[in-house]
Amino acid sequence: MLDVSRVQKELMEVERDKLSGVSIQILGSSLSHMQGTIEGPSGTPYEGGVFTIDIQLPSAYPFEPPKMQFITRVWHPNISSQNGAICLDILKDQWSPALTLKTALLSLQALLSTPEPGDPQDAVVAEQYLKHYSTYVSTARYWTETFAKRSSIGLQEKVMKFVEMGFSEDAALGALQSTGGDENAALEKLCSG
Amino acid sequence: MPTKRILCKYFKQGACFKGDGCEFSHDWRDPDCNVCTYYQSGNCAYGSSCRYEHVKLKRPESVTPARTSTVAAHTNFGTVGATSGALSRSSGGNSEAWQNNLSSADIAWQEHSPFASYNGGWQEAVSYASADEGWPLPSSSFQIRNEVEDTPKYNDPSEEPICALAATGRCTRGESCPYLHGDRCSLCGKECLHPHRPEERDEHRRQCERNQKRLEALRFSQDIECSICLDRVLSKPTNAERKFGLLSGCDHPFCISCIRDWRSTSQPQGSGSDAIVRLCPVCRVLSYYVIPSVIWYSNVEEKQEIIDGYKARVRDIDCKHFDFGNGRCQFGTSCFYKHAFRDGTTEEVKLRHLGAADGNTVIAKDVRLSEFLGRLNLRR
Repeated sequence: MLDVSRVQKELMEVERDKLSGVSIQILGSSLSHMQGTIEGPSGTPYEGGVFTIDIQLPSAYPFEPPKMQFITRVWHPNISSQNGAICLDILKDQWSPALTLKTALLSLQALLSTPEPGDPQDAVVAEQYLKHYSTYVSTARYWTETFAKRSSIGLQEKVMKFVEMGFSEDAALGALQSTGGDENAALEKLCSG
Repeated sequence: MPTKRILCKYFKQGACFKGDGCEFSHDWRDPDCNVCTYYQSGNCAYGSSCRYEHVKLKRPESVTPARTSTVAAHTNFGTVGATSGALSRSSGGNSEAWQNNLSSADIAWQEHSPFASYNGGWQEAVSYASADEGWPLPSSSFQIRNEVEDTPKYNDPSEEPICALAATGRCTRGESCPYLHGDRCSLCGKECLHPHRPEERDEHRRQCERNQKRLEALRFSQDIECSICLDRVLSKPTNAERKFGLLSGCDHPFCISCIRDWRSTSQPQGSGSDAIVRLCPVCRVLSYYVIPSVIWYSNVEEKQEIIDGYKARVRDIDCKHFDFGNGRCQFGTSCFYKHAFRDGTTEEVKLRHLGAADGNTVIAKDVRLSEFLGRLNLRR
């Protein structure tokens, strides 16, 4: 049974603390599925990007870690460039119930600034990081510019664009949310589904 | 003396001033008499919601005054009601006469009841007593006592009882009160220190200090939050949840239920002493045990006091895992509970010391067949 009161407290805490650059939106009616966003840390190739993370809370939360995965595509040795899977000990065997969604998201932010190529999730990125560091930096920056930049137009306008194309508003909104606001990915999803 | 085996009602509330002289027991292990007196006569106004037990006591075949006074003494409030009825009959409700009457008699009830000089309850008590037809009135016993002890003289000043109302801070008579008023306790502010009973004074002071300390600690504990559920521990809905779990290794506060839940979370990868669940969720310091406590502590001495108190309490309880030698307790010699066999002998532990290959000495654990079987499965 999910500890609803604790999750609500955590969400309130995130809401209150605007300075951390972390935010969480609830998806659907239950508290078990939500989406978090973090800002790319300054002084890294991820600076200026906003990264969306899918969060699934298991029923035993907080005694089990939340399941987190990057929705926004990111070039990082410890994050899969294919599916966004994260290699971070506190989300696995080093989880502690004193950690919260906010601290976990902040840890992801810290992970972005301090990659651990020795314990990689994505071997290709890790190899590039170790052997051709400058290529890694430029690739990561390019991916941030391409996938993690908040486009100049807002979500509502994007939805309207899809509605003009002939999709229903609900479907367009759902597709955009599940792809983290990426228009091309959302269009692909709408066409395939 | 039958009443010596019944727990004193006033002692239970921390307000008996008779000390060793009390005819009731001051030993917590003795049962208290919780029988409703009004039910005995069949007219308890509270009915099923009465806080006292509604059971019929076996009535004595022939009522002797001595027996009656015993029954009356069993139920302190009943004594007041019944006697006051008897008194008001003899005095005709005249308060002058009553005063005279009272001063010379019935030390037994006046000294043992806080309602003794409570005038407001007087009429009420009379009506209760007069309705008490089926139950023998203890008036006869008190009249007998009147004749015996005409004027109470106290050879030793320490025998003189103090005004029970003043001791609870409710005596309105002040200087005109016919009873001895105790000295004021500087801690609780009540006139309850008997001037001629030094042990009792010390005991009261100690009790007061303990209470004060506990109150202070409780107030301090109110705001402490559990780091797992993020709630204030003492604001949890049920009584069982309003307890802290003290970790032996560090000073981070948790609810007992939260920290126990976490420590019992299954950890397949590391089940040894370094398993993550045995570390503090906040600082990751290893703790070997968790101690439940209603209050939180502010320094090391208080923490040690809580731990020692808990250990002392459970040391007398038989370990359910050891089960008088039939079971096997995984905590072995470190178990806080009692490991004793049915005949009362305690478990003797023989530790087998083995020299390990690296020259260190290790303590051999009991080897179980299942450990080998588990390894066999893995190899396949």
